[in-house]
Amino acid sequence: MFLNHFEYFAPKAPEETLELVGRLGSKAKILAGGTDLMVVMKAKAISPEYLIDINGVEEFKGIFCEEGKGAVIGTNTKLAEIQFSEAIKAKYPALAYAAGEVGSSQVRHMASLGGNTCNASPAAETPTPLVAMGAKVAVSSLSGDRELPLEEFILGVRKLDLAEGEMLTKFILPEPAQKSACRYAYMGRRDAMEIDCVNMAVNIELANDSETVMEVKLVMGSVYPRPLVSREVPALLIGQKLSDELIEKAAEAAQGEAKPIDDIRASAEYRREIVKVLARRLLKEAYAAAKGV
Amino acid sequence: MKQLIELDINNRVYEVAVDARDLLLDVIRKKVGLTGTKKGCGEGDCGACTVLIDGKPELACIKLAIACQGKKITTIEGLIQEGGALHPIQQAFVDYGAVQCGFCTPGMILSAKGLLDRNPHPTEYDIKHELSGNICRCTGYKKIIEAVEAAAQVWSKEGVK
Amino acid sequence: MDKKASKSKWNLTPEGWNLEGVPAYQDEKRYTQVGRSVPRVDGPIKVKGEAIYTGDMTLPGMVYGKIKRSTYAHAIIKKIDYSKALELPGVLTVITGEEAPNKWGIVPQAANETALAVGKVRFYGEGVAAVAALDEETAEAALELIDVEYEPLPVLLDPFESMERAKEVLIHEDSPGNILHEGEQVYGDVDKAFAECEYVLEREFHTNYPQHGFLEPHSALASYDPQNGHLHLWASTQVPHYLHRQMSIVLEIPMNKIRVTLPAIGGGFGGKGEAAASEFVACLLSRKVGRPVKVTYERNEVFFTNKGRHPCHMKVKMGLDKDGYIQAIDFDNTMDKGAYSGWGIVVLFYTASMLHLPYKVPNARFRGRSVYTNKPSTGAMRGLGGVQPRWAMECLLDELAEMMGISPYELKMKNAIESGHTCINNMFVPHTEYKKCLQTAVEKSGYLEKHGKLSFGKGIGMAGGYYITGTAYTLYQNYKPHTSVMIRVDTEAGVTLFCAAADIGQGSNTVMAQMVAEEMGIHFEDVNVQAGDTEIGAFDLGSFASRLTYAAGAAIKMACVEINQKIKETAAGMLGCRADQLIIKNREIYSMYESKKRLPWEKAVEAYTSINGSLVSLGNFSPPRRKGIDLITGNRVQGANIGHSPTFGFSAQVHEVEVDVETGRIYVKKVTEAGDCGTPVNPMSVEGQVEGSIMFNLGACLYEDQKLDAEGKHLNPNFHDYKTPTTMEMPEMDTNIVESYDPTAPFGVKETGEGAVQPTFPAITNAIYDAIGVRFYNLPITPEMVLKALKEKKTTSCDCKCSKEC
Repeated sequence: MFLNHFEYFAPKAPEETLELVGRLGSKAKILAGGTDLMVVMKAKAISPEYLIDINGVEEFKGIFCEEGKGAVIGTNTKLAEIQFSEAIKAKYPALAYAAGEVGSSQVRHMASLGGNTCNASPAAETPTPLVAMGAKVAVSSLSGDRELPLEEFILGVRKLDLAEGEMLTKFILPEPAQKSACRYAYMGRRDAMEIDCVNMAVNIELANDSETVMEVKLVMGSVYPRPLVSREVPALLIGQKLSDELIEKAAEAAQGEAKPIDDIRASAEYRREIVKVLARRLLKEAYAAAKGV
Repeated sequence: MKQLIELDINNRVYEVAVDARDLLLDVIRKKVGLTGTKKGCGEGDCGACTVLIDGKPELACIKLAIACQGKKITTIEGLIQEGGALHPIQQAFVDYGAVQCGFCTPGMILSAKGLLDRNPHPTEYDIKHELSGNICRCTGYKKIIEAVEAAAQVWSKEGVK
Repeated sequence: MDKKASKSKWNLTPEGWNLEGVPAYQDEKRYTQVGRSVPRVDGPIKVKGEAIYTGDMTLPGMVYGKIKRSTYAHAIIKKIDYSKALELPGVLTVITGEEAPNKWGIVPQAANETALAVGKVRFYGEGVAAVAALDEETAEAALELIDVEYEPLPVLLDPFESMERAKEVLIHEDSPGNILHEGEQVYGDVDKAFAECEYVLEREFHTNYPQHGFLEPHSALASYDPQNGHLHLWASTQVPHYLHRQMSIVLEIPMNKIRVTLPAIGGGFGGKGEAAASEFVACLLSRKVGRPVKVTYERNEVFFTNKGRHPCHMKVKMGLDKDGYIQAIDFDNTMDKGAYSGWGIVVLFYTASMLHLPYKVPNARFRGRSVYTNKPSTGAMRGLGGVQPRWAMECLLDELAEMMGISPYELKMKNAIESGHTCINNMFVPHTEYKKCLQTAVEKSGYLEKHGKLSFGKGIGMAGGYYITGTAYTLYQNYKPHTSVMIRVDTEAGVTLFCAAADIGQGSNTVMAQMVAEEMGIHFEDVNVQAGDTEIGAFDLGSFASRLTYAAGAAIKMACVEINQKIKETAAGMLGCRADQLIIKNREIYSMYESKKRLPWEKAVEAYTSINGSLVSLGNFSPPRRKGIDLITGNRVQGANIGHSPTFGFSAQVHEVEVDVETGRIYVKKVTEAGDCGTPVNPMSVEGQVEGSIMFNLGACLYEDQKLDAEGKHLNPNFHDYKTPTTMEMPEMDTNIVESYDPTAPFGVKETGEGAVQPTFPAITNAIYDAIGVRFYNLPITPEMVLKALKEKKTTSCDCKCSKEC
């Protein structure tokens, strides 16, 4: 299993990268970790003519996390860095956890946060908590940058809102609200090296009474072509104090929204069951965490 | 179109002619001739090809060789100590019966080294979690975990380069 | 790690064998080399990455071979056009099946495989052509340039459908009904026995389609010398001599011109226990191009060519009398053979044999058939022929115990065999500590305190198992010795053991060195082992059927008789005493009566060799032929096919599981195992075998299954969707070696590498029942199955007798 022949570029600066991205267009693929790209290329599923290796561009890496100012994470920040980052663990535990459950240790040292998003696999791990936390992405091109919510950036299986000449350069995470908590969970057959059959993140923000839900975002992975943000869960829960019955109702609502498929990893029916279980567990967990208990 | 690149493997610089598409695993095994790095799946799923790149465990079967210029690559052959002594992890693998067929062993040891370099006092869970990308079909993992625990103790006591 | 230090690691005898104070002449069991957890002889080179596997080898002028594979599971090959491939620069040659049409097969009567498909493909991924090229990249590119025209045939993937539609579609022209073999074995009066039983239960069990997943893909390097017609094959195999013979048949080269050498082997588990297309193709290409050719499989090719465990569809009926003694078993087995015969007949009758142990069974009926389907062939996989029936029977016994209202432990102890047991099919068990295994596992796990008493979702289950030791089916159709060894002693090389035994990772080279050292009174470090080569070593059947430690041990003992005698005679002359009074221990020769009369062992060797030259001796081993022979008439009787096992290893396991009743995930938390492996030659290696066995079948029980689509195409020929257990799935494992010594066995040894896989399926299945009150009859037991079963259980009234809130 060999790769096709391609021309290799290793830019050192963002401008140089964007120039290449602009010039080579869709015949080029960006190489960050390569843990997905190399595998699909080996399988001859895609055969790009050019690879733009962005690992030499320092500006695309790094976690910038300041008290009260959210965080900015470079597109080519390795998942292992996020997994082990004390700042991320403290402020965005759901993201640190999700990053730490991707593939294997080796994969996490290679794979990047941007790659996990841009691969646009429905089973991707980190987009789920990122969407739940309201992360935005910065998309850059020679003609400038634009920012958009991550949930609008991923359009479907292997589909992104990315025009010719554009690339994802960073993730912008808002500062978590007071009295809020985000939690992530996944289900697969094993506890490592899994391609999730369902993953999910729940972000809950409470009112001053520490009991009434002010905002809630429940995001499902692997049950829809892209991260699926529940509409019904907020409708049910905002303004409410959560009870087991209410959580059960919300979980059922999420289950109803999920549109999973049957594949070798799990049946649609099973995935729907798991959506309900994870929703129930995460709502409870995130609610408790937001309350500070 | 081949180009001449320099690869720093085990503190020795190798000049090799590579195609852009050449994978690090193939270059290490076929061009450099260090066959201790194994190919078990070629798809990043088994960990047999694990090498350390700038001290971090990575999968050589899905890594372009050309992308490794300027980096320090450590393969299993690079662990050997002064006078041919075994690295504490290697020694523990021998002593604790963590080796059977040996095909996963180089990758397993390098993953363990990557872990202990970062976290010299891992819990059993840490070891399991960080070694979960290295499949072993012979040992049932128990002796491997024990060996890594033992190596961590030796290491923290005696230190190693 | 403290426990490790205090354990038996460097003690001279394993725990419980302390024979301190017993005079040497009275005790044959006081070993100094056997029974020690010495580190493996190949440990250091393996941890250094210096062990050379076939894929690591390069020979001068070596080129690469690749195999073009079928994209149909069942089709007639209309035309193969490889002209474009030949035009690709760097391509040396292309071959197709027609160039080597001789059929090979591990079982000679049913040989029906060819190196590459001839005229027809019978499974997806079957080889149809092969390329030799200067480099691997070119070889792979050339495959794309080979055009194969197929005429698709109906694809039969289910054995029952295969039998049903046999009139319409035949997979092999000479196998009517699509049946490889059908057989019946009846002992006693089964129907009468059932009529008298108090408790009778019948169930159907269906097993899955797992694969070995050895880490090293098949690799073969062949070098044919056109000048003298010699062929040298280096291959990743468990069976150098089987391979040797198959090469001779397919290539039509006399056996004395073929040499098979084993480099380091990256695991086999049965999957390298036959010849592989890679090996034939490397040899055929090398002969054609006159240069060394290497063929190494990609991981998906390992799945395409499979030879994993047979899916079995079993109907099992068991009857107990009012006191719980087994009176009869009726066992019907439909085995999914896949496309080619392989080990099929042997496995079929192994499943028949497995009914008779480890419990006393006075009446038994076996009916079975091995059915061709358009799947990659099944073959030998760790615990061959035992795992499936053992699962069924141990689960059935669990259910019967519940029916009787007694503990499964009580039921199993009641029926367990004892040393000196003769089965109704004439298998003879000279020695067993099976009851001790059951007792140890149950006591150490607290099974009796926990079983039926844990909270809903938590469960504990037990099961036992056994496996043959020291026997194997022989491909030569005669009873030549199964293993021969040669030992040479001189002052130059010291002690060298020459044999063809295959160390596939299980550690046989270490264990053989220990046994030679023990028998000769020297240290294991003094013994050089030259193994795994058909030219250096004399005939050996190979590493499978858990035969090697026993067989090699017996052959080593025999070879040492003459050597020790000659050394003692020489020493006797030097010491002035009788040779039969001498003992050799710890590299010293001394009189057992006059301890002052002593002499270093090397001195006697030096004295002997300075007069006679090197001291060389041969030893060999054949298992007895008791099974299959009626002891009174001497006639062959049913069940003769698989030979007799001189002894048997046993294992009992208790598994503790937790079931997440919301997601269906099953977590095996703890395994307590107790095994009877006779004398553990290397206790650390025994533990490694047992721990490996448990994880191996834990994987096949819960995660592993090869999936095909309706056209027979693989859906998961890779390690991301063929899910082997990772470190994260590892339960706490407490393995125990029970004190055991089989006086009929060399050094008292038995097997340990396959007996311990047997109880894993049923122990987990029984534990799941204990946890959630659902019995599963299909494998692997997936979270989806658990959830579905729990749902069904809720809607129907719970009729399980478990005491839990369900």
